[in-house]
Amino acid sequence: MIRFFRIAAFSIIFIFIITNQVFAQSSYVLPYPSSMPGGFAYKLHLVYEKISKYWYFGSLGQFEYNLKMADKYLVEAKTLFDYKQYLLGVKSLEKSSSYFNQTLPSLRKSEAEGKSVSQKRIILSEAALKHIEYLEEIDFDTPDVFIWEPEKSSPISLPLKKILINAINIRKDNQ
Amino acid sequence: MKNFVVFLYILFLSIFTIFSYVFLDPHITQLKNIFTDFSFDQRILTTFFYISLVVIFFIFYSIFIWLTVRRKINTKDVIRLVIITVLILFFSYPVMLSYDILNYIATSKISFFYHENPYVIMPIEIPGDSLFSFMHAANKIALYGPFWILITGIPYFLGFGNLLLTLFSFKIFVTAFFLGTGFLIWKISKNILPVILFSLNPLIAIETLVSGHNDIFMIFLVLLSFFLLMKKKLGLAIFFFTSSILIKYTTLFLIPVFLFVVWKTIKKSEINWDKIFYYSSLLMMLGFFLSPFREEIYPWYAIWFLPFVFLISKKKMLLYLSILLSFGLLFRYVPYMFSGTHAGLTPLFKSIVTFVPPSLILFYYIYKKLWGKIYSR
Repeated sequence: MIRFFRIAAFSIIFIFIITNQVFAQSSYVLPYPSSMPGGFAYKLHLVYEKISKYWYFGSLGQFEYNLKMADKYLVEAKTLFDYKQYLLGVKSLEKSSSYFNQTLPSLRKSEAEGKSVSQKRIILSEAALKHIEYLEEIDFDTPDVFIWEPEKSSPISLPLKKILINAINIRKDNQ
Repeated sequence: MKNFVVFLYILFLSIFTIFSYVFLDPHITQLKNIFTDFSFDQRILTTFFYISLVVIFFIFYSIFIWLTVRRKINTKDVIRLVIITVLILFFSYPVMLSYDILNYIATSKISFFYHENPYVIMPIEIPGDSLFSFMHAANKIALYGPFWILITGIPYFLGFGNLLLTLFSFKIFVTAFFLGTGFLIWKISKNILPVILFSLNPLIAIETLVSGHNDIFMIFLVLLSFFLLMKKKLGLAIFFFTSSILIKYTTLFLIPVFLFVVWKTIKKSEINWDKIFYYSSLLMMLGFFLSPFREEIYPWYAIWFLPFVFLISKKKMLLYLSILLSFGLLFRYVPYMFSGTHAGLTPLFKSIVTFVPPSLILFYYIYKKLWGKIYSR
């Protein structure tokens, strides 16, 4: 009887370990999804984004702006991937990566200006971990390649796996 | 007798200025040699001295009002008293009762030294700066209007990066607007009583000349815009009114009154300025009483309505209420000074000391009215 319970307990733990995906853990909090592409509000958001870039002047301000935008577009990309809107999702992901790519240069500029950026580096590192966690989640539920077939033009092949790996690498490089 | 009172007043102001240094913050390294820790170690004594000095300040205030009403003070005396008050209190320690002046400097430093947007970057986000390590609102983005931030570039640069020099250059800046407001009150009222009521009011003097609060700059601009409206200079009046809103936003409450005056000016009709200042004082009082919804009632918020009340000093009840409120407000510092905590019974005691003095006059007024009615029967 005892032997039976031991085997059962071992089996449960073993199954739990092999089925449970372990992602990178980060306390960094991503925002809620904002308006999605296609709507009028989204166009307004794009205009607001362009203007607010100037509001966030200064190297630390630019760091905050780039990270904020990288977060926003990552969340947008995940939502779009969840709804299998891969073409739009890839666009959002590329935007997010582009903004994320600008975070570290902003911090380096701050450092060159004599501002202490130790706290910001920790934030960036936490953000990168959370982004990777999110991207791995997307990767888990996404096909490696997706063929997008528009009605009036030729099909487009989207190498989703490659795009996601590239996005993860950008986060790792800027950590 | 008058000269003796002035001599005692000079003596009193000097003692008050010296007393302000018992609140010295050890982080202000240039004044390390005179740091005593007295206000922390001797809370009871500090509280006793503070209460006594505020009471004495109000006694002098009452004497000067009485002398003015009795026509024993002329314009020259007023100028002399204002200059004495300004010159002596200028040397007081500005972080005695509030850390706001440090917030002004911090916001200015973020803008003009670090070239960052103070509405985006908080002082706490720039570690390693000694000023940001001991100020009290390091975890907040700029609370003031853009015009204030822009204009503080002047005192900031005049401080040449030295904290002590910057503190006093901010004080000179605020003092200039205190004098400007006094001058506008005199120009508008053409009477020395409102000037005495304003310039020698202990709350206004302490919060402006000692603590260097920017509320006076906002009031100066709004009074200047009203003064320009009196001169029918509409464009300039609108410019200064807007500037005043962009200092601390509170003068937004005056928009209805301002628009009414603009409309009357365009229509070229007669304006009853007493009524304008009466409604302005009530609207600014509304802003004052609504301030707990944002944070809490701070003593210097009384600067928003006091100058308007003093311009219509014929409204006796409003005048007495306002003066007693300004008396009570200066005691809001006492519970913390005594206990060293903002928690516990401190908020309750703050409310009690603030509202008991004006309530007394209100009850007296109601009692007198009722007694009058009963007596007339």
